[in-house]
Amino acid sequence: MTATLTRDAPAAAPKPPAQRPRRRLSVPHLLLIPAIVILLVGMGYPLIWQIVTSMQEFGIKQQFGQPAPFVGLANYFSLATDPTMWEVVVRSIAFCFITAAVTLVVGLLLAVLMTAVGTVVRLILQISLLLAWAMPVVAAMTVWIWLFDRRRGVVNYLLDMIPGVDMNRFSWLSTPITFFIVASVIVIWMSVPFVAFSVYAGLTQVSEEVLEAAQLDGANGVKRLRYIIMPMIRPVIMIVLLLQLIWDLRVFTQITMLQDAGSKSSEYDLLGTYIYKLGAGSQDFGMASAVSIFVLALTLAISWFYVRSLLKEDEQS
Amino acid sequence: MKRKYAVAAIATAAALVLAGCSSTGGDAASTESAKGQDITLWLMGGDTPDTLRDYLKTEYKKATGGTLKIEEQGWGDAVAKLTTALPDAANTPDVTEIGNTWSPTFTNAGAFTDLSDMYDELGGDKLLKSFVEVGEVDGKQYALPYYFGSRYNFYRKDIWSAAGKTVPTTLAEFDETVKSLKTDTQSGFYIGGSDWRNGISWIFANGGDLAKKDGDKWVGTLASDETVKGLTEFQSLFEGASLAPATEFDSTPWVNINNNEATGVPEAATIIAPGWAHWSIGDLAPDPKDATKTVATWNDDTFGTFVLPGVDGGAAPVFAGGSNIAVSAASKNQAGAKELMKIIFSEDYQTLLGENGLGPANLDYASALGDDQFAKALVESAAGSKLTPAAPGWAAVEGAGILEEFFGKVSAGGDVKALATEYDEKLDKLLN
Repeated sequence: MTATLTRDAPAAAPKPPAQRPRRRLSVPHLLLIPAIVILLVGMGYPLIWQIVTSMQEFGIKQQFGQPAPFVGLANYFSLATDPTMWEVVVRSIAFCFITAAVTLVVGLLLAVLMTAVGTVVRLILQISLLLAWAMPVVAAMTVWIWLFDRRRGVVNYLLDMIPGVDMNRFSWLSTPITFFIVASVIVIWMSVPFVAFSVYAGLTQVSEEVLEAAQLDGANGVKRLRYIIMPMIRPVIMIVLLLQLIWDLRVFTQITMLQDAGSKSSEYDLLGTYIYKLGAGSQDFGMASAVSIFVLALTLAISWFYVRSLLKEDEQS
Repeated sequence: MKRKYAVAAIATAAALVLAGCSSTGGDAASTESAKGQDITLWLMGGDTPDTLRDYLKTEYKKATGGTLKIEEQGWGDAVAKLTTALPDAANTPDVTEIGNTWSPTFTNAGAFTDLSDMYDELGGDKLLKSFVEVGEVDGKQYALPYYFGSRYNFYRKDIWSAAGKTVPTTLAEFDETVKSLKTDTQSGFYIGGSDWRNGISWIFANGGDLAKKDGDKWVGTLASDETVKGLTEFQSLFEGASLAPATEFDSTPWVNINNNEATGVPEAATIIAPGWAHWSIGDLAPDPKDATKTVATWNDDTFGTFVLPGVDGGAAPVFAGGSNIAVSAASKNQAGAKELMKIIFSEDYQTLLGENGLGPANLDYASALGDDQFAKALVESAAGSKLTPAAPGWAAVEGAGILEEFFGKVSAGGDVKALATEYDEKLDKLLN
């Protein structure tokens, strides 16, 4: 709010040229200071520390007070030549794109469903989504791990009842593919409510008049969705997709808990758990910081499509 | 993640600032200067029973008038917590239990106070030697033994005798017997494929090792002939006797030797587990205090114990489990911390450890373990037990889960020699 005020105030006010070079800080400027300080301390300091550490040899001895030798970009070079690192990167990107895409599709469909059904059904739907969204991750994970349990899990029990399917004691968490399918299902389950609600909010803003006009012009349901509704809620979809991509790239809790139940091997790592293993696990904070900075760069690269589309929209308007 | 690093950063900064102060005040560990100091003790997992915790609190209060706060840390993320808390004078525990195999890492990093001036007072030569050695740097003692346990086998007498099998006397006979006991629904010997802490017994028994010191550098020896022989034997044992997934690591094998609640038969004829597992093995009955749980009562007719036999008979060298205990170098309450060490190494407390089934650090009190079959198996298996390499980077090897990964791949049927060479390289990077 303060930001808009400071920007808009001088433009709206008539400009007396004599007063122009104001030296005194205005009240809005002063009000901004605490927020900036909190941002700098909370976000800036760890970021700078991380960049500095990523260029140091920082192991357990440094943690206990010995000076950390500056090694320049050596950590980054050894990362770039480490095949494990690239396997993790490729796996993480694939995981985040597939999971985010499925989340978006399911969320979209649910949102459309919410606009189509009656109030009672919609309320039931919304409450269930809200419950899934509000469920603490650790509690939800515990139940999910039980569901996929090798010996007593409901999933194996149900699949095994299908004639011709032998899923008795199928170990979901023992091969990377099935491990990540389970992980993906869980992450999708946890993120769909957010997408569904955001898109639903967007859908309620699509004006009835426009849709009615389109209907009169002979557009059927699919065409209305494709040519009227989608373009109108495109900004919502874009930001939701971006957030999903970033969240799914950084996913940590779900993977680490599944690893506790399954395997801790590096074939089951995504970037989050890889960094944790490097840093907290093998006490190589220098390398762990280097990977973190890389992830930051990767996140920026993925977000670029969104920033560019924002810039384009700015040009058009 | 960022927050975690921030904490680490602040911890480091604090350590740098306080490094000067922390080295003082250590020498005069008299009861006088410990007066009224409130200290914190970190214990790992629930291994130390409540009666022992209460004893420590009461005795510490009596000795110093101060309060002892005991905080329990989970084994799983303890290395990470110790790494961030120990350098920070404001947050460090004053005394902490650590996994015995992590001792070299933390002592070499300078995390602990030099205890050599009170080593003799605390038990000296009577303390379990292998545990003292992992906590030593340049002949000075930093981390001392807390308790030891070791692993031995539990087996179903009913299943073994029905198949006409007797307790084996050599490792080869053991392998063969448990393989013959495997059926589609029952493991002859239930062991997770990534369970390296038990699996290394087959390496040790064949004269192999995980790493050795070559000059002043540690190198992995997974690809040595003896180790490969042990690993190959383990691979064939896992494939032939266990139904556990190759990726299963630190599991709770005792649930498999008890009768399964749903089927009424056990999932395993034999398991290997730390001695205290016997509290969880036996005939299951509903817990009178909590209807959702069951309690196990040991039944000598159904269950038995034996020590894993060596290649040529005797006892195989198993992994020496247990903990060390040390005073944090960054602690501001050195006197109080040392006072607590005196209580821990007192005859009374050592006896209490033994009575609760934990091998006391001071071997003079080992008789407190009693003379039942569990105590005998514990002492017999501990006699030949071996520790993991005392390399400075060992905690990093464990923290990164490299051995779980390696054993998992071997158990999944991988080429032992090729895998061993590949993982030797990974070990070399972390060991020093």
